[in-house]
Amino acid sequence: MQTLPSVEGGPAPASSQNPAVINSILVADCGTVFTKVSLFGLVEGQYRLMARGEAPTTSAPPDGDIAKGIIQAIEVIEFITGRRFASHGHIISPEGPDGNGIDLFITTISAGGPLRLAVLGAVSPALEELVYQAVSGLYAEVHALAAPSYVATSLSSTAVGNTPSPASSGPGTWTPERVALEWERQMEQMRELQPHAALIVGMADGPAGPNPLQEACQLLLNAKKDLEEKGSRDASFRFPVLYAAAPQYVEAVRGMLGNNAEVNRVDSLISQAQLGPTSVAISSIYTHEVIQRVPGYATMQPWFSSQPVATTTSLSSLVRFLAQHYAMNVTAVDVGGSSTAVMFAGEQGEFMPMVQSGLGIGPNMGAILQQVGFQRIARWLPFDITEEELREYMLNRMLHPHVTPSTVRELHIVQAFAREAIILTLDEGRRHGFEWPEADLIMATGGVFAHAPRYGQAALMLLDAIQPRGVTSLVLDRTMLISQLGAVATVAPVAAVQVNENDAVTHRLGTCVIPFGALQPGEVALRVGIEYRNGRQVSVDVMTGSIEVIPLRANEQALLTLYPAPTVDVGLGPGERARAAEEIDGGLVGLIIDARGRPLVLPGDNRERQARLLQWMQVMGA
Amino acid sequence: MTYLLGWSVIPQIVVRRERWPGGYKTRGTALVYPGQEVQPDQPVIHLYKAEAVPVVDTASRLALPSVSTPGRSDPGLAPPNGNAGNGRPGDTVPAGLSGRVVDITRRGGVVIESRVVAIEGVVGAGNQVAGMLTMWQAGAISIPPGAILVVPGPLNFMMLRQAVNSGIAGIVASSIASRDLEGFLQTDLVNLLDSVDVDLAQAHLPPLTLLLTEGLGTIAMPARTVNLLSRYQGSIALLAGATSVRQGIFPELLISLPAREVQRSWQPVQPELALGIGALVRICGGEYEGLTGEIDHLFAHQQRFRSGMRDRAARLRLEDGSRAIVPLTLLERIG
Repeated sequence: MQTLPSVEGGPAPASSQNPAVINSILVADCGTVFTKVSLFGLVEGQYRLMARGEAPTTSAPPDGDIAKGIIQAIEVIEFITGRRFASHGHIISPEGPDGNGIDLFITTISAGGPLRLAVLGAVSPALEELVYQAVSGLYAEVHALAAPSYVATSLSSTAVGNTPSPASSGPGTWTPERVALEWERQMEQMRELQPHAALIVGMADGPAGPNPLQEACQLLLNAKKDLEEKGSRDASFRFPVLYAAAPQYVEAVRGMLGNNAEVNRVDSLISQAQLGPTSVAISSIYTHEVIQRVPGYATMQPWFSSQPVATTTSLSSLVRFLAQHYAMNVTAVDVGGSSTAVMFAGEQGEFMPMVQSGLGIGPNMGAILQQVGFQRIARWLPFDITEEELREYMLNRMLHPHVTPSTVRELHIVQAFAREAIILTLDEGRRHGFEWPEADLIMATGGVFAHAPRYGQAALMLLDAIQPRGVTSLVLDRTMLISQLGAVATVAPVAAVQVNENDAVTHRLGTCVIPFGALQPGEVALRVGIEYRNGRQVSVDVMTGSIEVIPLRANEQALLTLYPAPTVDVGLGPGERARAAEEIDGGLVGLIIDARGRPLVLPGDNRERQARLLQWMQVMGA
Repeated sequence: MTYLLGWSVIPQIVVRRERWPGGYKTRGTALVYPGQEVQPDQPVIHLYKAEAVPVVDTASRLALPSVSTPGRSDPGLAPPNGNAGNGRPGDTVPAGLSGRVVDITRRGGVVIESRVVAIEGVVGAGNQVAGMLTMWQAGAISIPPGAILVVPGPLNFMMLRQAVNSGIAGIVASSIASRDLEGFLQTDLVNLLDSVDVDLAQAHLPPLTLLLTEGLGTIAMPARTVNLLSRYQGSIALLAGATSVRQGIFPELLISLPAREVQRSWQPVQPELALGIGALVRICGGEYEGLTGEIDHLFAHQQRFRSGMRDRAARLRLEDGSRAIVPLTLLERIG
């Protein structure tokens, strides 16, 4: 298991500009598709969520001003509360004696898209992997372009970069013409990528010496010229460059790039020890190059009580806090319009964030289908569908991501994409060395969960995609607060803790028991014994391949005893009986027993698969 | 539904657009100067091949040993998408708009300010082209090469192939099945919609620029759009098909208004975006797709729809007098 650094570097002290007593806090989360605003206020000495509003994000034309969407969401809150928080397009602050205005305004942002980062220089596969790990918790797309001279001298048989090139992938001699061809390919890739920033790596100790650094500089000079000619940037633009390569050449690189780049040196990236500083530096570039360039940012600037942070950064703070505060393993899942994040935080301080910036169920829905193919999406649908219908729906949703699914059929399609987005994100984590541990608590946030018409739908999406084992609890962030509370904690930690406990994680879907091991088809996988507080006892035999929901409502507790079949495990070993030392909690769905087996295998026959899906949905109330 | 200019169809508005026929390895020399008045058929750019990109050796002055990469020649310009006079090096490019030149861009594009009719599409493809607006008629014997053809209904693959063979510059239609569009473009639409470099993305597409007013599927073109386009048949129009969801770029058709329509008292339409009571709207999806009506009530609280989802909604009085409750996200303001 790996433990990754946090990008925010721990909680910051509260702003000196904050009022002594904070009565009200507005928190805005500007997503790619929707902007969510929440109002926190003091109720009997405790911070509570008082109201929330939602409006389409307005960073794109015709508005071209992200602040407008925030104001529209605030207007919903004003309607609900009867108070005023904005006037003439601006936030009223501080809160007045009449209750109008707010004391703090905090923003998290995922609109603006990911940071496109070109990794240049002597990019070995090991270094490329380190860079991926450094950005795994950030909204960033990494494109590695190993310098032609490095490829020619060091990696003649190893492809580097996202797409193997004809020039670099084949064995054979690296003639000058072949190096030139590789050079041409890389310039084309830079043109296509239009990176926001570059990271230069490599220690110049290979056969190519410092040449890869020189080639990296030339690629950047060409890319800048290209951007200027297109009118994307003006001549005064300076390329943000992080230099994590051989320290003795940093001044030479600065000289090469001259006024064309702003070169900042970080520790040379050679091992996991440097991941922290590299990650923090890339996060800082994201703030400058993406967040602060979101149209309308300047309008909002006077409102801020603290600098806006990336939504994923805020979420990671909260997940780690929860893991430590409750001394449990926590997994958080956030499926957004343009990105999907899965984060694990352990009670021992372990932290594994995996953000897939190009996967979402809005504008980036297409990337999911491209990666998994039609069959993997269609397998979650309890009806027949042609590839053409699925594809057309997906393309139209990419073009109109804010449109609500108008039929149950469309809703199932969106939820199927969400399942695969989570699966892909987990798989991506595994590819980069994450061994996702089992979680005691799984939290789900994002519109597809929060707006799911039935709680069972949210629970089933989590079970299908994450496929947890043993015993866990599912929590739905219906108010879409958890990704904002990390940012709140840096300014008003007490408010963050109280709102989290009072309002954010209150939609407990239920405790979930997932037996695993060798489940025998047609046989009982598990006998579940429940002893309710009123003394009533229930025993349920759960057959292999089925899901059972045992009534145990929210705010109810019961003692649970599990009797697995001899080859079946519930976390203590095959056949080992488990009796909970403490009562387990109920939830909005109930006590869920998922005996479908791990890994979950859906029937190959279409009719049988659809019948099973419908059966599971019915049981779950989905 | 949101459109870059506010509404999908705006009968009169002032826009500034760079006349640039695409081709990322092409550069232009402006034949006009800022402040000059131009006409739609007036050549404004002369195209030429871009300079070779500097080779690695140009950085050798900077204290590191020179890289032994040989100098390379430019592999040549792939002919950019476009038709005669619309994009090949050596061509001159007509303005496509009437109006005043306000800027010349670094690559040689000419920025023109013009009073236009603007129609924004949901999806499209292809470089910016200028051509004569021509309404499609069943059984028409010939369509002039270089024309922009208006098909007031769905397209299909065969129609697109025929259009290419006829030398048509562009097509404005209501919709097309995604399979037909991808088959014609020979590209994955997902990649096209997600493109970062839009010029590069158009470079390998067939030489026919497309704008689909309603998007993918088999949806008819609204009557008001057909009527508006019919009114300007024979005018030179400027059509851009490039679409990138990632970059917020969508296709548009601009037709400069004739002088007789631009009187002294002429005022651009300011598209009102708010969906208020009394707003004229069109329903862009779901069971009432394509119908128009007037908002007569806005619900204070979210309404539940057939999918089970809740959403903010409006009640509409439709043209036939009936009423419908529709999510706000499905409404396009049209007046």
